Formats: sequence, C-alpha cells, structure tokens
Amino acid sequence: MKTYNCEFLCVGGGVGGLMAAIAAGKKGADVIIAEKADTRRSGSGANGNDHFHCYIPECHGTDTERVYREIGSSFDAGPWVDMELTKVWIDRSFEVIQMWEDMGINMRPTGVWKFEGHGMPGQQLYNLKFDGALQKSCLTREAKQQGARILNHIIIHDLLADKDGRLAGAIGVDISEEIPETVMIQCEAVLLATGMVSRMYPSITPAYMFNTPCCPATTGDAQAMAYRFGARLVNMDMLNGHAGPKYFARGGKGTWIGVSTDIRGNTFTPYNSKPSRATGDITADVWPTCYRDRLKKGKGPTFMNCTETSPEDLDYMLHTAMVSEGIDSITDYCEHYGIDLSSDMVEFGTYPIMMGQRGIEIDTHARTSVPGLYAAGNCTGNVNGSLCGAAVFGMTAGEDAADYVKNTKDISRIDPADIQKYEDLYQDLLSRSDGAHWKEAASSLQNIMNEYASADQQSEDMLNAGIEYMRQLKANCYKELGCSNSHELMRSLEVLNMIDLSEPIFLCSRNRKETRGPHVRCDYDFTDITLNGKFQTIYKERNGTVHMDYRYKR
Amino acid sequence: MPPIIDVKKCKACGYCAEICPLDVLYLNKQIRKLIVRYPEECWHCKACVKDCPVNAISIRYPLSHMMLHFPKEGLK
Ligand SMILES: Cc1cc2nc3c(=O)[nH]c(=O)nc-3n(C[C@H](O)[C@H](O)[C@H](O)COP(=O)(O)OP(=O)(O)OC[C@H]3O[C@@H](n4cnc5c(N)ncnc54)[C@H](O)[C@@H]3O)c2cc1C
Ligand code: SF4
Ligand code: SF4
Repeated sequence: MKTYNCEFLCVGGGVGGLMAAIAAGKKGADVIIAEKADTRRSGSGANGNDHFHCYIPECHGTDTERVYREIGSSFDAGPWVDMELTKVWIDRSFEVIQMWEDMGINMRPTGVWKFEGHGMPGQQLYNLKFDGALQKSCLTREAKQQGARILNHIIIHDLLADKDGRLAGAIGVDISEEIPETVMIQCEAVLLATGMVSRMYPSITPAYMFNTPCCPATTGDAQAMAYRFGARLVNMDMLNGHAGPKYFARGGKGTWIGVSTDIRGNTFTPYNSKPSRATGDITADVWPTCYRDRLKKGKGPTFMNCTETSPEDLDYMLHTAMVSEGIDSITDYCEHYGIDLSSDMVEFGTYPIMMGQRGIEIDTHARTSVPGLYAAGNCTGNVNGSLCGAAVFGMTAGEDAADYVKNTKDISRIDPADIQKYEDLYQDLLSRSDGAHWKEAASSLQNIMNEYASADQQSEDMLNAGIEYMRQLKANCYKELGCSNSHELMRSLEVLNMIDLSEPIFLCSRNRKETRGPHVRCDYDFTDITLNGKFQTIYKERNGTVHMDYRYKR
Repeated sequence: MPPIIDVKKCKACGYCAEICPLDVLYLNKQIRKLIVRYPEECWHCKACVKDCPVNAISIRYPLSHMMLHFPKEGLK
C-alpha cells in the first residue's frame, strides 16, 4: 500500500478539483489532487467547453439585482438551486475569467468579450463564448505552479475517519499498472469533485454504456462517498438529464446554431423561429425531455434543424465552436458520413438521467455538512455545477479549506485496522478472476434504475421493489464480482458506488409523496402546496439511521 | 472499433494511454506496442487524436452510434 500525507485532498482533477487546488495552493496549503484519469484531459471539460456563464460589470452594467433576477430565473439557475449560492457564482465569475485568461485560456477569441448562445428571450446574454479546448492543460499547469501534487490514475473509493470519527483522509486504488495498488491519503480536509453520474441509467444506446453526453468516467463516486460518510445530500428526487444528437450522445447542445423543429420544419416552442447565432435556441435547455415527450405523444421525431443557418455560421459552428467545445467528433462524423447540415436535419433525443446538480449539499463556502469536507461542481445538489459553478465553488472550497487546515491540526492517525476492510474487499474482487464481470452488475443496476426509479412514472410499490432489488444486487456483487486487473477493479468499484448512490435516490423519491416537475408519482398525482419552495435533504448516520427532511430554498 | 492506431507512425511513447479519460488505451512496455484494449469504453472524445505527437490516431465512429438525420426536403 502507498501512503501519502497532505493538508487538503482534491478528489477528482476536473474543473472544480483543479480550481480548488489552485486556490488552496495560493494560500499556502499542502495539496494533493487524486484523479482517476489524467487531469490534462479528464472529465466533462476534457476537450473543451465554449460557454462560460458569467457577469462582467463592464458588459452587463452595475445593476446586480437585475443580473441576479435574470440569471436566477433562467434555466442556468433553475428551480432546484439556492439563490444564495447562485449569487456567489455570479459575483465571482469575472474573477475566474480574468484568472483563466492569465493562465493562457482563450477567453476572448475575437479580442472582445462576446456573449453568444443559451440566450433567454428578453434578457441580457450572460454566456461568454470562449475557447476552452486547452483549458485542462492550462489549469493543470497552474495547479502545479501553486505547488499541488497531482496523482493521476488513482480512483478514490472512500473517505476515512480518525478514531474520533472525524474526516482524516481517503482510500483508493492506483490503477496505473496492471496490478492495482491500494493508496491511502491522510489529510485534514477533502474536496469531492468527481462530476456527473453518467452511467447509472442505460445510455441512449443501452448496449453501449459509454455512449454518454458527459464524461463516462464520472460515476457518482463523490455522492456515494459523501452519503456513506454522513454528509447531507439534496434534491436526489429531482431526476434530470440532457439532450442532444441521437444516437451519438454528445454534450454541448448550446453550441448548435439552429432551431428545434418537427420533421416538416415547424418550430414548437415560442423562442426562435429562425436560427440565431446570438441567442441559439434554448428549447433543449429549458425542455430537455421534449424529444422523449413528443415521441410518446406521437409528435416525433424532433430535430435540430440548421438548414436555415447561414453558410458562414454553419462553418463557424462546425469548425470553430465545436472545436472549442470539444465536440468536433460531430464535425468528423458529418464529414465521414456525408451529412450536410444545410439540407439534413439531425434528430435530437432526450438522454438518460445523469443527476447533474443533484447531490451533495453545500453552503456559500462550498462546505458540506461534515466538517472539513467540501464539494464542488456537478456532484453538488443545490447550485449550478456546470463550468462556472464548478470553477467558482472549487475556488471557494480551496480558499476555505486552506484556512480550515491551519486550525485543524489535531486529527489523529487513521487506524490501520480500518484500512484492512478495503484491502480485503480489493483482494476478494481480484481473487475471483473468473467471477462476475463488472458489466453484468452494471447492466442490472441500469435496468433496475430505469424501471424502478423511472424518469417517467414512479409509485411507492415500484420504489419499494427497486430498493429490495438493489439490496439483492449489492449482496450478489459482494459475493460474485471478480476482476483480473486494475482497470476492471476500477470499473467494479464504480458500480459498487453507484449501487450505494441508488439508496438516497430511491428513499427521497419514495418520501416525496406528490408530483412536481420531473418527479412524477402515479400514486400521488397532485402537487402538495405545503412543499412549495422546499428542497428535500437526506443524510445517513454511520449507524445506518437515515434522516430525510424538507427545508426552504435559500 | 473506435481509435485506430497507424502502427507505421506510432512511436509507442504511451502519451495517449496516459491521457485517455477512459483508460481505453494501453502501452505494452515489453513489446513496445500501443494496444486499444477496451474499445467499447471509448467516449470518442478525440483527446488521443489531438495529443498524439505524430498524428498516428484516427477514430472510427461505430454504426451503433449512428447520428440520425433526415433530409429537409422529405423522403426522396
Ligand atoms: C461536451 C461537453 C460540453 C460542455 N460544455 C459546457 C459549456 O460550454 N459550459 C458549461 O458551463 N458547461 C459545459 N459542460 C459541462 C462542464 O464541462 C461540467 O459541468 C464541468 O466540467 C464540471 O466540473 P466538475 O469538476 O464538477 O467535473 P469534471 O470536470 O467532469 O471532473 C470530474 C473529474 O473527477 C474525476 N473522477 C471521477 N471519479 C473519480 C474518483 N472516484 N477518484 C478520482 N477522480 C475521479 C474524473 O476523471 C474527472 O476528471 C459541458 C460538458 C460536456 C461533456
Ligand atoms: S501518442 Fe501516438 S505515438 Fe504515442 S503511443 Fe499513442 S499513438 Fe503511439
Ligand atoms: S477518443 Fe477519447 S476515450 Fe477514445 S481512446 Fe481516444 S482519448 Fe480515449
């Protein structure tokens, strides 16, 4: 087993994790980033992003109340986030943009601040159009410059406590060689930033599990670890997902310059009747399930229709914007298969549930309910976790953690006996090299989630059955799963984490006895007015007692 | 399946295997050969294509990931 010591551990070297490491490093903290892949090209921002939601006073004016009101009522904030957190990312977004520009990220490809796409009618435009193609390597370089040590190819599997039950580190596996090695990292504070939950539900092509819009390496490990360690999760009953090309799942719907139409070219939302490079078409943002909903009502298929987009805008979209966004595989695909977007409409589909912005509850300092434990980005449950949210709350977490660790020097060592249970599990899995392959377990997990914690219709009976089936699957996995190398061990641990993460989803879904937004109950088909403006939270004590509660949106 | 390595160009430097977000690629150090080990786990993100120093990688987009498209003028 390898052991490392630091003050602040960032789990996940995506946008949130790297920003936390940079901020904490600047304040003198001793930081380690543990990353499943390689921070230069990992996570949902691996190959770029092109929209940075932000408030730049010289462009948007000094009336911050207007900015809060506009962004707060847009889909980028949405009903399931706390306004007090939204205000933090709005207030600090320009600071991050300036920082990123200093790091060499191209925030002004045209030389001026340019806002394009995701435009809400009647509002100012807040999405800065930038070129994020090299963002991950720039952030990685800066994190190293600020003194962070980066441990790539390490999957963190669980959080560790000291003898008094306080957060004291994390355990995981180094998968860089064929034979895995257990890794223990002792520290005073931890940031969880492992991104989306990409593989909990069947993909749009169920036989191909890695065909997902966001990075398939993001598998809800943060939320699972946080839940097991007693941190509070929020909004786990509000299942959500993305939309995009069918059957080639890609994030980045906002990069398309076109309009959503039916097969005859007719639009069906009031937003745009003609393609607009300035605003884009927000149909897929505000109603990502429209493709599925319309199919079910016999109104499909539904398309991203770029046939009236100007040749200049099409060229820009395919050869500039999609490269900045890291989705130029679409450009390649069109070229290879002879798809001409000036005459061919691309059918869009609703992608499966990914639980973005559903997860760990944080406060304005990115603190969770567990002292010393922070979270940022897509794994958080009460604030926008996309680029700007991940960057701002990563930074906030790093700053706060640097202060926290200075005042927290009395964490006692982790008892080696506590490590043994993990070593035993890894050994068990590796010893069963002819045991059940992780894909068998992943298939059952996805099928159970899809049918029993469904995005369409839920009921107490179905949810109860799902809870029981998931317990059976978990028990079976601990008995049967086997792996023959590091890679398979990583994939197996991901599945075990997703099985654990199913528990708060099932319990919160069952406990919300009403129909509201994406939560549709056939046994409670009314909206309970007493729950207006409230979020459901859940946490589990180490003794297994689960607490669920409703609290007002803040 | 997905990434295709041009063995004539590949220098077996291992960089693509290091940065692949999905751990699809593997450098066999004994025989100094880059292997596409878990092709069905490829995200088609193109990181390997972009970062290979000698442009030895191309992507094949599988039939399973078909991008459905329909002519605006209707069925011909
Ligand atoms: C194609 C695409 C385009 C997008 N475009 C935009 C855009 O233009 N604007 C925007 O605002 N948002 C955009 N997004 C979303 C944005 O990229 C994400 O919201 C953002 O990257 C979230 O940051 P994060 O730190 O939470 O997660 P990520 O950046 O996904 O990072 C998570 C990291 O954790 C690692 N990890 C996972 N599990 C473990 C573990 N157990 N141990 C160690 N490491 C682990 C992963 O490998 C990954 O590096 C886009 C997403 C995609 C896929
Ligand atoms: S990066 Fe290019 S040259 Fe290096 S191993 Fe990969 S394919 Fe070969
Ligand atoms: S395209 Fe992306 S996921 Fe596929 S092998 Fe290359 S780097 Fe890995």
